[in-house]
Amino acid sequence: MSATTYVEAIRQGLWEEMVRDPNVFVLGEDVGVYGGAFKVTRGFLDRFGEERVVDTPLSESAIVGASIGAALVGMRPVAEMQFADFISCAFDQITNFAAKCRYRWGASVPLVIRGPSGGGIHGGPFHSQNPEMHFVHTPGLKVVAPSTAYDAKGLIKSAIRDEDPVIYFEHKYLYRRIKEELPNDEFLVPIGKADIKRKGKDVSLITYGAMVHNALEAAKVLAQDGVDLEVVDLRTLVPLDKATVLESVKKTNKVILLHEDVRTGGFAGELAAIIAEETFEYLDGPVMRITAPDTPVPFSPPLEEFFLPKTSDIIRVAKQLAIY
Amino acid sequence: MPTNVIMPQMGESIFEGTITKWMKRLGDRVERDEALFEISTDKVDSEIPAPVSGVLSELRFQVGETVEINTVVAIIDDEDWAVGTTNSVNLDQQVANEGKASQLQHSKSELSKNQVAQRSSPLVKRMAREEKVDLSDVEGTGLGGRITKQDMLDYLSERNKIVEVARPLVQPVQKESVSFITSSGDDEVVPMSAMRKTIADHMIASRRTSAHVTTVFEVNMTPIVALRKQLADEFIRKEGFKLSFMPFFIKGVVDSLKKFPVMNASLKGNNIIYRKEINIGIAVALEEGLIVPVIQGVHEIGFMSLARAAVDLTDRARQKTLSPDEVQGGTFTITNPGVFGSLLGTPIINQPQVAILCVGAITKRPVVINDAVVIRSMAYLSLTFDHRLIDGALADYFMSSIKNKLEGWNDSIC
Amino acid sequence: MPFEKKLLLDMLYYMKLTRELETRIEQKLYRQGKIVGGVYGGRGQEAIAVGSSIQLMKDDCICPSHRDMGAFLIRGLSPREVLAHYMGRKTGVSQGKEANMHMGDMRRNIVAFVSMLADTVPVAAGIAMAYKMRRQRNVVLCYFGDGATSRGDWHEGLNLAAVQKVPVIYLCNNNQYAYSTPLEKQMPIKDISIRAEAYAMPGVTVDGNDVVAVYKATQEAVDRARSGGGATLIECKTFRMTGHAAHDDVKYVPKELFEAWAKKDPILKLESSLIQDQVMSEKEVRLMQTRITTEVNEAVKLAENDPFPDPKDTLKGVYADQLIEAPLAFAKSFFFSGRKE
Repeated sequence: MSATTYVEAIRQGLWEEMVRDPNVFVLGEDVGVYGGAFKVTRGFLDRFGEERVVDTPLSESAIVGASIGAALVGMRPVAEMQFADFISCAFDQITNFAAKCRYRWGASVPLVIRGPSGGGIHGGPFHSQNPEMHFVHTPGLKVVAPSTAYDAKGLIKSAIRDEDPVIYFEHKYLYRRIKEELPNDEFLVPIGKADIKRKGKDVSLITYGAMVHNALEAAKVLAQDGVDLEVVDLRTLVPLDKATVLESVKKTNKVILLHEDVRTGGFAGELAAIIAEETFEYLDGPVMRITAPDTPVPFSPPLEEFFLPKTSDIIRVAKQLAIY
Repeated sequence: MPTNVIMPQMGESIFEGTITKWMKRLGDRVERDEALFEISTDKVDSEIPAPVSGVLSELRFQVGETVEINTVVAIIDDEDWAVGTTNSVNLDQQVANEGKASQLQHSKSELSKNQVAQRSSPLVKRMAREEKVDLSDVEGTGLGGRITKQDMLDYLSERNKIVEVARPLVQPVQKESVSFITSSGDDEVVPMSAMRKTIADHMIASRRTSAHVTTVFEVNMTPIVALRKQLADEFIRKEGFKLSFMPFFIKGVVDSLKKFPVMNASLKGNNIIYRKEINIGIAVALEEGLIVPVIQGVHEIGFMSLARAAVDLTDRARQKTLSPDEVQGGTFTITNPGVFGSLLGTPIINQPQVAILCVGAITKRPVVINDAVVIRSMAYLSLTFDHRLIDGALADYFMSSIKNKLEGWNDSIC
Repeated sequence: MPFEKKLLLDMLYYMKLTRELETRIEQKLYRQGKIVGGVYGGRGQEAIAVGSSIQLMKDDCICPSHRDMGAFLIRGLSPREVLAHYMGRKTGVSQGKEANMHMGDMRRNIVAFVSMLADTVPVAAGIAMAYKMRRQRNVVLCYFGDGATSRGDWHEGLNLAAVQKVPVIYLCNNNQYAYSTPLEKQMPIKDISIRAEAYAMPGVTVDGNDVVAVYKATQEAVDRARSGGGATLIECKTFRMTGHAAHDDVKYVPKELFEAWAKKDPILKLESSLIQDQVMSEKEVRLMQTRITTEVNEAVKLAENDPFPDPKDTLKGVYADQLIEAPLAFAKSFFFSGRKE
């Protein structure tokens, strides 16, 4: 069986869930006839019909609102944000309605909102963002960001089966650039569990999304120089797998936090606080962050290249931290 | 892109070089062709220019270190990585600044509590707390002299392992320059055993630490020889082991140490540490090297206990069943190559002690007493002492005291 | 008794119960400090919630707003439950998590609204989409005020509901003020119902103080929705007889308007019509009132004695399967038990 791309893995996961559970349905802009802007739902309309593959008007807020309604009465909607950037149009519905139903009146809202996030494809400010932190910051939501085809498939299935609202950020840069052999049998990736993508003993690097691959590339180069990097892929931001992160820090005593999102208010800040608080006496060096700068995502290639964290930066920081 | 700076080959037969000066510090900008460091080799001393422009991002070897040619000694990286001078913790700079302010020479061992705290991370402090380590005893090899996790682990493993030789508390010896010794085809090259290496390090470190001077006294052992002969059988019967000369020498040394406590002391920087306890180490020869078990608290022990302890420790030393406690904490050492026939030795001080007594063979010799030539059992006792602390006169008073004690032995044995 | 009579009596009962309960809440309990925060009532607008929701089936769904107390009561919330909720007790439907009319319970098909009014408009469309997908002959009744119709979500929701042709009834309580904002500052049109045309759905204007008119208009819309005819927008014209909330002195409303609309009070309107038509006697009306007053008295007594939730319940109910850490949990464990000496 040939290797499956990241985007195909998402498509497969979504398809399998729709086959398994008639309550699962998809809605969003251009998801039906067109098969989705990135072809995630290609073929779905023919197989599942108009009612379960809904081409909606250009109304992110209503898309999410309607998803909430359907979820309240027992459906399992999977709403697509054509680009994750557009999720801001639905901010109110997500953070004030969906996120708070269970807490306020015990009502379950098992919806999934998924969309392609991240840069590196010359998308400019509105097609390249990493908006996860707005939702990480909202109690009641779950936020996931897979980095491999395996995780993408396993997580979309888990997200659909979860009883709480899940925001699923798929990194568009990875769509067709990474692939791997996937098991034939059904598999799930649990929400709330990080994955150590590379074991190491000198420095821990905690990251998620496309940056996982930059980290692994850096690790190869660092190994030649005698620095053994441990790469921890969070996979889920909320609920955070704190135990795996802290265990890694306790083992290596040095940590780098890496993400493509901007610096201020990025997840690295949250992790740094947890690490500084709960593993203070295990730190043998400062907690380092490698992130994008606090700017919108620029378009021109040299600007975007400057913006995105580079593998060479990871190598340099890891090396310096290791010898500190 | 980072560029490697290597130790160049300054001649066909040159295989290594010693760094004698760094013109730049970590984080400094450097221009291509600008002088970066100076080296010294067997043939010539040279200034080495930087191969590219950029920022000095790694400095792998310090002044005084010798490395093989083509070893990467530093790395020059892109401009971007210029270190912000306000933020980098440069301990040497801080120490230098404080030195200027107080007009005192600071050595690493004298760092103030604050400086020790600054150069220890939370992890290191926790390890120190849990393992009861005084951080001012730990050498820091990290950036700016900070103590790293590995430094702590190394310190702890040194402290905890079952050592064959009492571990020196001096700074570990700098890497020896690999003198160019060749071995040809038929020569057998055998790496040193751990014990051998430890002894080697200890010995050379001791020579480098103390100002070794040896003074020799001759002692008339005739009364003790007679006494020993007299008690020999009874001793064997009662105790089950042969009475050797060692307990006599130990007792002599102990009584004299009580009179001259500085001989039982240690030096730490400019401080003299007068040890309260007298713990005598007895050098024991082993097939593969030597070991120095220590009789603890000798100042409080009677002769018989001394004798028993000496025999017990030397036996167990040979059987290799000593515990780590039993080879630590010595304040004075006695070595007895006399048993192998040596008349007189110039022993090396067992750090961190300040003196060591070497007992030569007891032989019958003609000596002059009351202007007549008579035959007596004589032994040379040589004392090597650390002239940083002890002057010749004091050393000789000490030795006189031992001589008098031994020659005029009238202690009860039981 | 004939269906119509029972219906009329029921509608009167619920309107009066609503009035009694809301009066007790606003004029007594709130001023006694037994209810804290803010209270919003629907005085003078009782006919809208009652006339519309009383005809729904058990499996129909309502998305009420903050003037629709009658709908909550009709759908099965008892006065005691309502008061316990208002007083932040453990026994309310939100177990102390929510305030005033933010009540909801999916077992009774009541969706709790959020303060961002009009959010429920697309939500209602989604519920209706689910009904349609499942071939359920159920409808959704979604309530909102005049102010809410200015929000983007309102328009997105109606648009989606119309395009998807789903069984939802959008019911506007046009009480002519959104807080202090009168209609003419809120919108350039006079009748909200004309907006229906923009969404190709029927738009109906009705006297919001005439419970029978509301009932009939809603009935038509419900029938349309149930039979697959899609959505309807019903505008109920009424007047807000109180301030926006209990804390509002409402000086911005001309006194004459209050006086004029007082004469059109929906409860008095029905009462006098029932008495006139000899469906009910004055005595029976008084008896009904007495019954209601007693009912509310008992509810107050019970609710007042209901327990408050445990402070630690603050951390419960965020997720189905995750616990939330208490903010000082680590500090406690680190300083008082975690450290090795």
